[in-house]
Amino acid sequence: MSIRLKLLLLGLATLVLPWAGCRYARDMESALREGEEASLQSVAQSIAASLQGRTDLLYRQPLPVLSSEDTQTEPAPVAKDDPKPSPYDLRPVLLSSQPFLDGYVDEWPQNRGAYHYYTRGQHRFGLISGVFERMLYVMLEVQDEHIVYDTPGGSPLDPSTFGDRIWVGFDGPDGHQHQFFIAATGPGSVTARRIETGEYGQLTAITETRILGALQPTSQGYRLEMRIPLSMLGEHFGVLIDDRNQRGADPVSYGTLRSDDLHTVGRLIVASPELAMYLKQFNQAGVRIAVSAPEGRLLAQTDALAVPNALLGPERGILAQLYRRFVDRPGTRRIIDATADIYDRERKAVIGSLQVSQTEDRWLALRDRALTHMLNLTLIISAIAVIATFIFAASLAVRLSRLRTASETALTREGLVTTFPETAASDELGDVARGFSTLLHRLNEYTGYLRTLAGKLAHEIRTPLTIVRSSLENLESEGVPSSARVYLDRARQGSERLNGILIAMGAATRVEEAISNTERVHFDLVPVVKAAADAYRIAFPQRTFATETPDEPVEIDGAPDLIVQMLDKLVDNAVDFSPTGAQIILRVRLDLLAAIVEVDNPGPPLAPSIRDRLFESLWQSRSGESDDSRPHFGLGLYIVRLIAEFHNGKAEANSLPGDTGARFTVHLAR
Amino acid sequence: MAMKRTVAIVEDEPAIRDNYAAAFTREGYVVRTYPNRSQAMTAFVARLPDLAVIDISLEDEPEGGFELCRQLRALSAELPIIFLTARDSELDAVSGLRLGADDFLTKDLSLAHLIARVNALFRRVDALRRPTEASQIIRRGSLTLDSEKMQVEWNGQVVLLSLTEFWIVYALARHPGHVKNRQQLMDAANVVLDDNTITSHIKRIRRKFQVIDPKFDGVQTVYGMGYRWVD
Repeated sequence: MSIRLKLLLLGLATLVLPWAGCRYARDMESALREGEEASLQSVAQSIAASLQGRTDLLYRQPLPVLSSEDTQTEPAPVAKDDPKPSPYDLRPVLLSSQPFLDGYVDEWPQNRGAYHYYTRGQHRFGLISGVFERMLYVMLEVQDEHIVYDTPGGSPLDPSTFGDRIWVGFDGPDGHQHQFFIAATGPGSVTARRIETGEYGQLTAITETRILGALQPTSQGYRLEMRIPLSMLGEHFGVLIDDRNQRGADPVSYGTLRSDDLHTVGRLIVASPELAMYLKQFNQAGVRIAVSAPEGRLLAQTDALAVPNALLGPERGILAQLYRRFVDRPGTRRIIDATADIYDRERKAVIGSLQVSQTEDRWLALRDRALTHMLNLTLIISAIAVIATFIFAASLAVRLSRLRTASETALTREGLVTTFPETAASDELGDVARGFSTLLHRLNEYTGYLRTLAGKLAHEIRTPLTIVRSSLENLESEGVPSSARVYLDRARQGSERLNGILIAMGAATRVEEAISNTERVHFDLVPVVKAAADAYRIAFPQRTFATETPDEPVEIDGAPDLIVQMLDKLVDNAVDFSPTGAQIILRVRLDLLAAIVEVDNPGPPLAPSIRDRLFESLWQSRSGESDDSRPHFGLGLYIVRLIAEFHNGKAEANSLPGDTGARFTVHLAR
Repeated sequence: MAMKRTVAIVEDEPAIRDNYAAAFTREGYVVRTYPNRSQAMTAFVARLPDLAVIDISLEDEPEGGFELCRQLRALSAELPIIFLTARDSELDAVSGLRLGADDFLTKDLSLAHLIARVNALFRRVDALRRPTEASQIIRRGSLTLDSEKMQVEWNGQVVLLSLTEFWIVYALARHPGHVKNRQQLMDAANVVLDDNTITSHIKRIRRKFQVIDPKFDGVQTVYGMGYRWVD
């Protein structure tokens, strides 16, 4: 694994921050929920306390009548409301929407249990009532085999024209009883009328426009839907059905009005419209406040549960939604509730209960906002950390690879590089580079010492050798006995060999000096190589030599003497490493930029590891097959390199294709 | 031989000095040896030798031989002087100094070769004092080569060759067109040198001819083989 990758992973470790953020957000959510529940409870209790004893607010009461004979000035006491329930009491439900007066049940609660049923014999009708805003709505489902309509156009007061009639009776706010009848002449809208006795006893039917209704026949009878403003109504309310089999027949009367005088027997227990107004002041987006009667019937509510909070709307955007996915526990959004009882003035009886509901959205939005901000922040920090780490890692890798390249190439170049990269850096890499640089510097000195060692050594040995040789020569002239002459000969041979060694040791130095004194001339490479090959044929009769040259002249600037010397070294090498009778090929060819001289010899291939070092001074790795006594100091190919470099070229060595031998190639600049 | 010739050896290494002295004595020369420049110069002022063999490096003077040579040449223009160097790489530098020495040799030269050279120089001294016999003169175009006086002329002008250089030119010019390889040239010059030194000798020879005639091209390289003289 590269350092770059490791550091990148390290940078990715900062992603633990968003994870911790999610954990924190959940904890925060729990804390928020608890706090919210507590505060909701206290809200519920304080609203409930504000409603304590306010029966007048909870339950609709007729306005106090200020009449001369009535000296009562204070509002009617609650105790007047006999809590004894009666089956004729009407308890309208709170309607969530305004019913459309059409005789259909669409806008009404679909729950059949919400209907009250009244029967007489086989006659039966169901009643459901509701309040929406300041209107009382009543829906009657009457079972009637024969719907008998009034005669259209006939007098509503003519008993012979009477069909099925519905009576509505109530006491007004002033306490007076009012009765209205609804006589339909067909399906559709109906009107309510009251019978008024004139000054002279004459009866007139007066249409009450404030009461609206509609009738629709059903499979079992008919349905009547009507609407009466609450402002017309007092404490009591009732309906009575006059069911006739035919026009003018005696009706079967039943319902919640006394059938003889149409007087109300049941109360109308309905919430005060002020309650809804009162609750409205607590209205907030995402909150529902509901007041219910002790028996559970909803009296009033303000419902803003579905209203999104404008200030604390849920965070939009892909990121925010993504965060929520991480944080949200599975399951649907819940609604939290708090309930508080409303007591009477003496805190003895419960007169209702208050429920405050709140969607989680409200505080989830809070949480989401904090979460989104936090996660955005940590994500940015993580991204910066990752990018910074990556850049750092990349720069580190670049520096390291620069170091590596420098250390790899330092040894193979001419001399050693002493200017090592990164040595100016103040960090640990700089230390490493400086260490390398010092090491290379010492190695450089050492190599330089080695390179000059041979020359120095040759020089130092020369004087004692001269003493030995001159002494031996003098000894020879002194008339040595023949028995001792053999030793003298050996001593002389030994000193000659030593002299040969000295000459070989100084060869590189001499070539360097010779090169520095060489003048360049313009010459054709081809005849030089051909002439040299001719010479080698004579010098090495155990090998055959072939030349491959282009037809055109290959002209370069340089020193033909040095070229021949270079060929000498290459051919020496080729002869050493080729078997007897082998063919050595001297080749000249043209490249785009360089003239190329190649010497191929069959024999052992070159190991890749030594190719680059072959041309170094004092390098010798291959043991040749030749058994001549000439000393080798690994200078031959070094001289080749020196001469190639004099010609602005380079020398390289490769194995022949198929590893059948070696090929030495020298590029010479044209 | 009327009287014995005197050879002065200036060499700071006693063993070499004594060995050389013994060899020259054996050859019939009177030998005087000096370990340093001051002793040698004192003696030379008093009495000149017939020939001087001088080591370049003398005791604490690494190039004391040069100075000695210059002083000696001031005393006598004809006195043959042979330089000995420890390193053959110095030959170029030494010859470039134009000290007026007659030959430059490295110390690994054998005593026999050294004596041959000394003898040759004495022969030349003798030859210069008498008229040259025609048979000793070789003429090759612009080249006139006197093997007795060991003197070379090009276009009538004397080319100042050292003894080694003369022998190389002589070996080449005697058989024009014939290629002499390096070994043959070394044998002719009575030296044991490596290829590079022969190359630099050839180079110096060419340069000396070119001083007189910039178009000189008498010594040709036969690559891989050696050199030949062309007219």
